[in-house]
Amino acid sequence: MARQNVERREILRIVTIAAGVAAFPGFSKWTFACGHPAEAFAQVKPASYTPVFFNATEYALVELLCALIIPSDETPGAREAGVAEFVDLMVSRDAALQPRFRAGLRWLEAHSRKLRGKPFASLAPEQQITTLESLAYKRKFRPGEEPGREFFDLIREYAVMGFYTSEVGLKQLDFPGLQFYAESPACPHKDDPEHRHLPPPRF
Amino acid sequence: MAIRTLCGAGLKVCALNSGQRLDPGKDFRNHRMPWEMKYRGFGDPQTRIDSQPDFVNTEYVPGAWERELVHTTAPGTKWIWPRCSAVGGKTNFWGRSSARFAEIDFRAASLDGHDVDWPVTYEEIAPYYTRVENMIGVASTVQNRPSNPDGSYLPPFNFRCFDRILQAGAEKVGVPYLPDRIAQLTVEHIGHPACHYCGDCTSGCEVGAFFSAPWFLLPSAEASGNLELRTNAVARNVLVDENGKARGVAYIDRATRQEREVFGRVIIVAASCLESTHILLNSRSRPWPAGIANSSGQLGRNLCDHLYGTAASGYLPQLLGQPSFPDNVSDSSIAWMPRWQNLVRPNEEIFVRGYSVYPDGGCSEFPSYFDEIEGFGSSFKREMKRRYPTPVSFTPQIPSLPSDKNYVDLDPAAKDSCGIPKLRIHFRWGDNELAMWQHAKHACDQVMRSSGGVVDYVAEEPESPGYSQHEAGTCRMGNDPKRFVTNRFGQTHDVPNLYVCDASVFVNCTDKPPVLSILAFSLRTSEYIIEQLHRGA
Repeated sequence: MARQNVERREILRIVTIAAGVAAFPGFSKWTFACGHPAEAFAQVKPASYTPVFFNATEYALVELLCALIIPSDETPGAREAGVAEFVDLMVSRDAALQPRFRAGLRWLEAHSRKLRGKPFASLAPEQQITTLESLAYKRKFRPGEEPGREFFDLIREYAVMGFYTSEVGLKQLDFPGLQFYAESPACPHKDDPEHRHLPPPRF
Repeated sequence: MAIRTLCGAGLKVCALNSGQRLDPGKDFRNHRMPWEMKYRGFGDPQTRIDSQPDFVNTEYVPGAWERELVHTTAPGTKWIWPRCSAVGGKTNFWGRSSARFAEIDFRAASLDGHDVDWPVTYEEIAPYYTRVENMIGVASTVQNRPSNPDGSYLPPFNFRCFDRILQAGAEKVGVPYLPDRIAQLTVEHIGHPACHYCGDCTSGCEVGAFFSAPWFLLPSAEASGNLELRTNAVARNVLVDENGKARGVAYIDRATRQEREVFGRVIIVAASCLESTHILLNSRSRPWPAGIANSSGQLGRNLCDHLYGTAASGYLPQLLGQPSFPDNVSDSSIAWMPRWQNLVRPNEEIFVRGYSVYPDGGCSEFPSYFDEIEGFGSSFKREMKRRYPTPVSFTPQIPSLPSDKNYVDLDPAAKDSCGIPKLRIHFRWGDNELAMWQHAKHACDQVMRSSGGVVDYVAEEPESPGYSQHEAGTCRMGNDPKRFVTNRFGQTHDVPNLYVCDASVFVNCTDKPPVLSILAFSLRTSEYIIEQLHRGA
């Protein structure tokens, strides 16, 4: 079944039925949201953001790391989605997380200075990527970098949480939920139960 | 169900509800996107409760789940107890899976020699199941399976791509993969609108397209003019007269902390298995020093629960890179792998009885498979996108066998904020359920392999007991007053005007979810009460 945009008539019909069963206070938000998702929920990003938990240097590094993990390439990335702001908010509300983030950022700075004599942010982009690769890929792991690997996993987790709950992130996945479907969505590949003959991957 | 049935018969009912009444248009999720929420739907980390699942801290339905723990655990026991005190309780947010119990469940003890049979037959309960199904609307198909009697069904949910792949794979290894019985409306049903498949379900349905007590049962009770609903009224104990007969309930008004009393001819506890048991245990008086209706000593005993866990999760490579598809139509499963073990002979397996499995997957709201993808950067983003339609996972629903070691009592040393002694829980998984857990992991692995899937995670340990919220058995029914708390109608043996209407009367928890059976047994109990009152009993 093809994805359907909301049919207002159908919604109104449902509202009428619901209203008959019990007092139903209103569907206006939903009809509006489904009809105009972009306008209704456009994110307004402040021009400048003052971090709640991180200091300015730490925050710049968090922003940089999030952008390396989910870069802006042919599609928007962590920067457009405001992921660093989300990370700052979550860490600011989580006492157990705070020392782990702070120590991790400190480890990365010291590691970068030791290895290349410069703070991480001043490295050339390829050097930043190489540094992170040894923390991110099993085949590139190096002894003694366990704390860095643990921190990388942590910040990656929060970057993913922030990005894939943002409007741009879910748009990238083409998140099909929280919409109105007139009937129970059914597999469209009737003659191919095992799905061995699907069209070539789109992505 | 009891409220609706009694009010419908012209009886005056005063209902005490320990929480607030929710307003679907305001208090439910109402299609809000994660980015509309301050903490993106993960909830405020500062208010998270370590001993509770994350949904208790939900941003979408704030205040629906209780934050206070009213239980303690005995040494060696792990138990989580999410409580929803809002009017309608957990039916506001439940999973909607609605299989009937079967004769093979009611007669399990005769078949395999463990524990005791139920005091009822399937034939006796079947008409109540049919009436409840017609009342609430259950979508499924006729399946002709010995452990799963068919009922009166609306058209089933359609299978999605991953369902059909898994179904083909499961068939090859002799495991059934079928539409579950789901109390979610695929078509309009007696005045309730059809589902619109948005996937909001477990944050409450704002149009009432699946069964919940506030959408389906309360309106007619209120329309009768016979219901007085008192909210924020925390029942403390059942009041008795000098002969030990129930005459009312003492409760605490949550707002004022004042103690109040209400009186009636018949008292029904229907607060969910453990809450009801808690109230009865705390109803100690001269005639009932160990808790009301507990002359058998069985009140609080025989606690059963469903063992849940991730038996397998992974992905289906066939779907890599395919366009996204609205798979998330129920916020949980629409298919099931109904019990296929020990059906021909009761002792075919190394365990007795059996379990069912809920498969789920597809495009979800949050791509939690990110953990299985290595790295970062553009290649990571691409892989996240490619994998989006592919994830699948399997959750078995495994019944624990009743055991002397699993029970609840009052903690003599701990009280809750209302001054009520906390409930102390003694519970451990037994060998039978752990053998099923191992069996389920193996079976789900086989289904994945024969479906061409890749398994990338299998949980070592099951979820903590209590996680399924399907506890049962602590006021169980039986014919012998010396061995059971209630009779076959949910009437306590000791106190003829005291009844129990929830899963605590179940003899065990079977491999099926409890709600449909709670409704069927409660309907039967309510009509029995009406009959008794007409007789002047």
